[in-house]
Amino acid sequence: MTKQEKLELLRELCLEFGPTGAEERVRELICKKLGDVECKTDRLGNLIVRVPNEGAPKMMISAHMDEVGFIINEITDDGYIKFANLGGIDPRVLCGKHVTVEGKNGLIPGVIASKAIHHQSREEEKKLTPIKNMYIDIGARDKADAEGMTELANTATFDSEFVIFGENGDFIKSKALDDRLGCAVMIDVLKRLGENNYFDLYFCFTVREEIGISGARTVAQTIDPDLSIVLESTAVADLPDVPEPRRVAKLGDGGAISLRDNSTVYDREFVRAALDIAEKNGIAAQIKKYVSGGNDAGSIHKSVDGVRCLAISVPSRYIHSPASVISVSDYLSISDLVLAIIENYKE
Amino acid sequence: MELKELIISISSLMSVSGHEGYSEKELNDIIGGEFDESFRDHVGNRFFVKRCGRENAPKILIDTHLDEIGLMVTEIKDGGFITVAPVGGVDPKIMQASDVTIYGKEKIFGVVGSTPPHLRRPDEGKTLKPITELLIDTGYSKDKLSELIRIGTPVGFAPKYSELANGKIAGKSFDDKACAACAVSGISRVAREDLAGDVYLMLSSREEVGSPGGAAVGAHNVDPDYAMVIDVNLGKTPDTPKNETVEMGGGASFTICPVTDRKMTKMLIDEAKEKEIKTQICVTGGSTGTNTPAVNLAKEGIPTVDVGLPLKSMHTCSEVLELADAESVSALVALFISSKKIAEVFSR
Repeated sequence: MTKQEKLELLRELCLEFGPTGAEERVRELICKKLGDVECKTDRLGNLIVRVPNEGAPKMMISAHMDEVGFIINEITDDGYIKFANLGGIDPRVLCGKHVTVEGKNGLIPGVIASKAIHHQSREEEKKLTPIKNMYIDIGARDKADAEGMTELANTATFDSEFVIFGENGDFIKSKALDDRLGCAVMIDVLKRLGENNYFDLYFCFTVREEIGISGARTVAQTIDPDLSIVLESTAVADLPDVPEPRRVAKLGDGGAISLRDNSTVYDREFVRAALDIAEKNGIAAQIKKYVSGGNDAGSIHKSVDGVRCLAISVPSRYIHSPASVISVSDYLSISDLVLAIIENYKE
Repeated sequence: MELKELIISISSLMSVSGHEGYSEKELNDIIGGEFDESFRDHVGNRFFVKRCGRENAPKILIDTHLDEIGLMVTEIKDGGFITVAPVGGVDPKIMQASDVTIYGKEKIFGVVGSTPPHLRRPDEGKTLKPITELLIDTGYSKDKLSELIRIGTPVGFAPKYSELANGKIAGKSFDDKACAACAVSGISRVAREDLAGDVYLMLSSREEVGSPGGAAVGAHNVDPDYAMVIDVNLGKTPDTPKNETVEMGGGASFTICPVTDRKMTKMLIDEAKEKEIKTQICVTGGSTGTNTPAVNLAKEGIPTVDVGLPLKSMHTCSEVLELADAESVSALVALFISSKKIAEVFSR
């Protein structure tokens, strides 16, 4: 794929609707993008593409299809939608945002509303609005009208533009970069893969990462891999008002390789090998310098008899919001690095 | 142009308070064709005039404010980040993770930064960051950015519009440009010979940054016989009192209070009833919160009616209006400028 095609692939994946537990649309889109490759969907909804090499060490490469979002937990008498979060979302990124709601017949637009500033007391003006005081407005006249359009337990997510921006078009702003970027990388790597691979490869597009009860667990248990690469998005704060030790990683310096996070201690030898391969091949990569977050490796590394894990994350500002920001070059270099690891790493 | 398209195209224009002239050409392209002449004054008001063709005809003023809330650049930082200050009543709650446009020598896309839960400090989750402490991410180098923008450069929220159920639309700056669209639509409905006088549409400046805004100067300059001020009115939501809001879908609202002209309001309500235009009444004890007092107190006093378009989530990027209400406002404008009864009573 050309750079333009890779950006277009990422755009389509990011804009697709797929909050945790409602990944079907993303899965269908990925299958479509993969073309005539054989895709298997397991009983939880994880999508697995195997590139077989019988008897060789098994390597599982994964990225999650789900994104943070919302689940409808009440439809009020006057036709508004109350919701709970799917995944960790800071309430400060919600007021006034456009959303897409799972309707009875397809997706419907809505907006997250709360009390207008004109009606807020002086005290309310200074306080953040808790999620319990917010509601989604889909334009319904009353409860019956709203119930005709959607129903309890349907999901919703942000409706936000995919924008390539910056002085030289070096940055991307979108919802769901976490972790559609990982999905895009896997599709790209699958398309670039040569014929005779050292590993028995399993590309796994997983469900339900954002709520921690991860779909990756069952995939790992079924495949029982020797090694696993988790492709993720990591929250970074390379901002002028943040002290260096808390910046985590820097946009544009390549994929961030984790040593440790809140769910996993990564395999040291595998981490070192990945960094060496990056250096030898002139591919940008960096070490994630702050212990934060967690990902599917938390489930994978402890499954069956233990799996040696590596996590490569795209450094991402403002994740879990309608407007996260990544660097275009990081997207491209992560894809190069994954391919280089598959081609060069020997146990 | 259909009313919906007219509303969206005018509301999308950049017109942050103090920069009402920024989109002058686009505005003229959209609405200029409906009018005989247009001019502006020293404080940023824009006027569009439709003549009735008779000598010594009364002057009828329709005011809607052109300016919108927004931001302005206060500092350019390393790494292409900027800080901003609010222009008008911007709610800090809507800021984080919003898309903005910085209107420098070039239009520059920006994202208002936010802190993900992963990196939030324990004490950080319960407080709201003031607007002046937020960083806007542009993806430019500081040097290049400094060539394109400077302190004071206006920043606006990026336009985005969604169609909700029941003819509702959600987006930014319907306050008050949706009303400008309703006024243009109403004026275009009336044939020249049916006008009760010369119609001055004033798209006034600086309403969002303190009363009286540009409308006081504009009304002085036009010195109309009588006037209608149209602004958005707070629509009923679950968290607001019924007697301080108007019903969505309830039609154009009339605010009745000591600064609105009771007699003219009553006459217009009666005529609206005859024409089956849906209207509702909103009563306030003090003033209107709109340009009405500014217009009403110009010269020796201008009899003024205050008309409102119900709007939910005011001052956000997802203000919600109902097209049926906008149609009512448009029909009411047409009625007002063609009413011979009102012209008879209120002409000087």
